[in-house]
Amino acid sequence: MNRRKIDVAFTSLLIIVSLVILSSDKLVEGGMETDLGSLFLPRIVAVFIILFSVMIGIPSLAKLLKNAPLGGLERIDTTGFLGIGIYIAILVAYWAAIPHVGFLIATPIAMFSIAVLLEGRNWPVMAAVSVLTPLAVYYGSSTFLRVFLPTWSLS
Amino acid sequence: MIDILNNFFGGVASVMAVGPIAGIIAGVCVGIFFGAIPGISAIMAIAIILPLTFYVDPIIGITMLLAVYKAGIYGGSISAILINTPGAAASFLTAQDGHALTKAGKAGKALAMALYASVTGEALATLVLIFVAAPISVISLQAGPIEKVFLLIFAFTVVGSMTGESIPRGILSCCLGMLFAMVGMSSITGATRFTFGVPELMSGFTFLPLLIGVLVMPEVIDAIKNRKMPHHDLVLSKSANPDDNRVTWKEYRSVFGTLIKSTGIGTFIGALPGLGSSAAAFLAYGEAKRTSKNPEEFGKGSLKGIAAAESANNAVCGSSMIPMLTLSIPGDDVTALLMGAFLIHGITPGPTIFYEHTDVIYAIFAGFLITDLFLLIIARAGFGFWTKIASIQRYYIFPCVTVFAIAGAFTTNQDMYDVLILICFTVFGYGMRLVGLNPAAFIIGFILTPLLEQNLDQAIAIVGTDYSMIAASPFAWIFTALSAFSVYSAMRMKKKGKKKAAATQNASEQAA
Repeated sequence: MNRRKIDVAFTSLLIIVSLVILSSDKLVEGGMETDLGSLFLPRIVAVFIILFSVMIGIPSLAKLLKNAPLGGLERIDTTGFLGIGIYIAILVAYWAAIPHVGFLIATPIAMFSIAVLLEGRNWPVMAAVSVLTPLAVYYGSSTFLRVFLPTWSLS
Repeated sequence: MIDILNNFFGGVASVMAVGPIAGIIAGVCVGIFFGAIPGISAIMAIAIILPLTFYVDPIIGITMLLAVYKAGIYGGSISAILINTPGAAASFLTAQDGHALTKAGKAGKALAMALYASVTGEALATLVLIFVAAPISVISLQAGPIEKVFLLIFAFTVVGSMTGESIPRGILSCCLGMLFAMVGMSSITGATRFTFGVPELMSGFTFLPLLIGVLVMPEVIDAIKNRKMPHHDLVLSKSANPDDNRVTWKEYRSVFGTLIKSTGIGTFIGALPGLGSSAAAFLAYGEAKRTSKNPEEFGKGSLKGIAAAESANNAVCGSSMIPMLTLSIPGDDVTALLMGAFLIHGITPGPTIFYEHTDVIYAIFAGFLITDLFLLIIARAGFGFWTKIASIQRYYIFPCVTVFAIAGAFTTNQDMYDVLILICFTVFGYGMRLVGLNPAAFIIGFILTPLLEQNLDQAIAIVGTDYSMIAASPFAWIFTALSAFSVYSAMRMKKKGKKKAAATQNASEQAA
């Protein structure tokens, strides 16, 4: 993947966001009056973001238009990106499931899925690790830390 | 000096109790365990352990985290030496010489030299920290809000310009961290900023999930991305000669000069914000090679090479705390994380720490030194066990890391919203790495912005409408000049690096 395209896209986005911060007063609500105001520092930071985004975006755009050969750091290797997508999907599903099925049921499934994603094929050991680790974490956090991880709430 | 010694011995007395010692032992074991596993760095170990320390005394919690840090750095050399898989760039040189010794059946000697060099480097750098930090803090105590504003601007400039792939990317990372820090209720005006009506954003982004998401979870994603790469299996051949599996007193004496010099380099580099352990290891290794009678042995199993890289790499642990504790400037990602840990424990790093929390800070210093002793004992006693750890398959480790990270994020406020923050910042942190933005600079921007905002507000209140007063302080000029100098030197360094890379590429093309 050509990183220059991503550079142009993300710096353009940052410039737009910074311009909104510079021009809109609706981003802050309430608070008392001070000499500087609540948006003084965010606006200073926004100016710097525009400045450095331009310094990154313009050379990338120029090279993109010239079709200059890609340098080592300008090429993003996309091998394995599907796995990253699946991992993020597992995390989101895990986050959504925990409040309903509880930590002790959702976690072994998530751990086992991640182990399979990582090319693990030693099923019995993977299953044992996936069950014992959540039990240890649950017991440890509730007994020693007094942190109660979410439990079953389907009823 | 007498005061420092008195406070230090008071600290030793505080730390010589069951709780802190148990914390140090646990920290050392956890640090070596995580450090020895390829793909897991010291920072990941600290972030995972951090939530556990919320519920204990700061002396126990922080000494435990520091033990994880020190042991984790040493642990990184185990996988580097045994299976030629450096967990961090700083262990790259250790892997070169250490793995060459492993292939020659002298893994025990390489591991022992790495351990002795690590402990020597860390202990000497810790002594420097103890005797230098307090005097520096006396000077920095003179700084008022105006000077602190310039000091923080200097910190942002140094960290941004030194840590990024390029200066604009480094400073942009820092600016993004600053922007995220300003989400939620302002501590000065009470106004809510950038919340867009979402009540959960009123208190801003919770530090720990953000930190784990940006710094730790992208390492798991990297492991997922590279999941098809074959696992390095550990095949050890052991020499029958016992001297091949230990470091003799004669050998230690022969590298002692290198150890001292490399520790000095590591301590100096560590005290400068933004450079980190890799720069220290490479500089010390280069210097040891330059002054060696047998430079051709470097990279082929040289004990001096291991001693130089490891002592410099580990000396950074102690000295990188100097700017953090005296000036509130975390120099790299690990010290940024440790600064967060101090803040969570209600201790604000900065010059006043030596007066407001004298007992705690000197107990932590004492714990730092005692950690070296336990690291030496535990690592030496369990060589066989730690070598087995290095070969644990990643599909057992990374699911556990994911669960620890999620449980840790939940622990902060016992709220699933924090887990969502973790997931969002995991994606964000990985995206940052893809486009060459620096996560450490982002975190430092996030941590220091509330301090900047508070001091800026106080500075404006002091000068009133006479804004020229801001530039009246000599500190203001000194820090502005230092900021400009840091950007200039970073530009020169990057230019030199580019020239060197181009020359190497030309030479390799001509050779081909």
